[in-house]
Amino acid sequence: MTIQSLLQSGLGNLASYLAAHVLLCLLPAFFIAGALTALVPKEAITRYLGRQAPRIISYPAAALGGFVLAVCSCTILPLFAGIYKKGAGLGPAITFLFVGPAINILALSYTGVALGMDIAMARLLLSAVFGIGIGLLMALIFSRDDRGREAAGGAAFAGRARVGGRVWLFMLLLLAILIAGTLQVGILTNSYAHLTLPVPGLDRLESSLAALVPADAARGEEGVTAQGAILIGLLALIGISAWFGLNRVDEGYNRWTWVSLGLVALTLVVAAARLAPHAGGVDIAITGKLIVVVLGLGALWYVGHTRFDAYEIQEWLWETWRFVKQIFPLLILGVFAVGLLRPLIRPEWIEAIAGANTLLGNIVGVVFGVLMYFPTLVEVPIANMFLSLGMHRGPLLAYLMADPELSLQSILITASLIGRLKAWVYVGWVALFSTLAGLIYGAWVDGASAGLLAACVSLGLSALALGGAWLGRHRRQLDPPQAVQTD
Amino acid sequence: MEIVILGTGCPKCRRLEQIAAEAVAEAGVDATIDHVTEIARIMSYDILETPGLVIDGQVVSSGRLPRKDEVVAWLREAR
Repeated sequence: MTIQSLLQSGLGNLASYLAAHVLLCLLPAFFIAGALTALVPKEAITRYLGRQAPRIISYPAAALGGFVLAVCSCTILPLFAGIYKKGAGLGPAITFLFVGPAINILALSYTGVALGMDIAMARLLLSAVFGIGIGLLMALIFSRDDRGREAAGGAAFAGRARVGGRVWLFMLLLLAILIAGTLQVGILTNSYAHLTLPVPGLDRLESSLAALVPADAARGEEGVTAQGAILIGLLALIGISAWFGLNRVDEGYNRWTWVSLGLVALTLVVAAARLAPHAGGVDIAITGKLIVVVLGLGALWYVGHTRFDAYEIQEWLWETWRFVKQIFPLLILGVFAVGLLRPLIRPEWIEAIAGANTLLGNIVGVVFGVLMYFPTLVEVPIANMFLSLGMHRGPLLAYLMADPELSLQSILITASLIGRLKAWVYVGWVALFSTLAGLIYGAWVDGASAGLLAACVSLGLSALALGGAWLGRHRRQLDPPQAVQTD
Repeated sequence: MEIVILGTGCPKCRRLEQIAAEAVAEAGVDATIDHVTEIARIMSYDILETPGLVIDGQVVSSGRLPRKDEVVAWLREAR
């Protein structure tokens, strides 16, 4: 294995990711993440997480909060501290901490496109259900301690903001563009008209790209088409123009802002079309996707222009660009590194350890996830590498559940907030539940009935909830609440 | 007057510090800007989400990035 072939493998991986996966799902997903942060008032969720909220509302709200509020870890920990210290207490705070990194819009859409919608859905459902389970367990174990802190601080949760209809409409349009771009169904992928542009030379570009980045279906590697090369070029141009146009967009638009927004729209449109180069020019197929994306962009423009303040839109663009700046460079490095590594790992190793849905395989997946710390989203290309090397989907899910939740860094910060004992108990539960999630999902992949598995999970969780309720009542009789303590 | 930025060092918090500094210059007030990054100290204020902006001990905004002219108005009010 020479250095040159390793580098080529790394670059090839990067190119095929940029051309195939990243664009259609991540570009709209970043805009959705920005809109969630800029346009959805936090109080819309946090008001259900106050001290007065009943358990049946606060736990699901905490899980939903993970989806809406927690796009990056730098928002998760402060909010976690807030919910724990001033709001609903340890249980919902833990639920929020667990669910946040796994089911935000970026992780979910990226997982779905790169690894398959089934694994993304399993990640979503099992994270939400187990997040609530772990929260309940933690509240149960440390219930005495939690009652000591009936402190003030309700004001932080007293907000009454609601999400208005215009924000819903805006989010739905963004989601429509995301879904149209990624969903592979006939009505979207069929082409309804053809257009031929006399651009010569694209077919030669395509054949030289095929020589440079050979497609290797057996190893899950994809080649780069001329369309992919155009998209990569557009991405680079977006990066440059956005640097000048969006860095300070909260102060106002400039010429570069319009250039970069135009390029983003163009990229989405090009990615949705199907280009087939031939000797005389290039055939453009007008697909269902293309029609939906163009209509969606038009509607988005109209709604943004007529229903929102200029400053709201500026803030949305600024948040979006901030996420891109924060996440994308590391993601590119990660994808490149994965491409370098893959030729060095032998499929037999992976197959021997985690090739089947065994307890050991799932535990190894979880331990690897805890020991390794990867930047946001990089867990997905890594999981994709393992998948192509023969890892079973069950242990893969166990790894995907554990990796973003736990890293030494986040364990240490969590410990400083809630104490070392609680933090390590939490780590233990996460490891246990992630292993369980892998086993359950793996059993489903291997053909076990989904209904039976769901019944088992819900039975276990309701036993947990009932136990919690019973113990809570029982304890209160044993030791009456102590004097209110302000900290 | 004393201005405190509450934030764990995320980009939004750094941007808020810039905005606050520009607003101080624009409002022409005499102020010190302090950036608090430890979560425990941040939580001693009544805020739930960073970034938070505190002027003379009073939380004026949290969880969002205020406009520069908003901050200028708050500074003039507090003077």
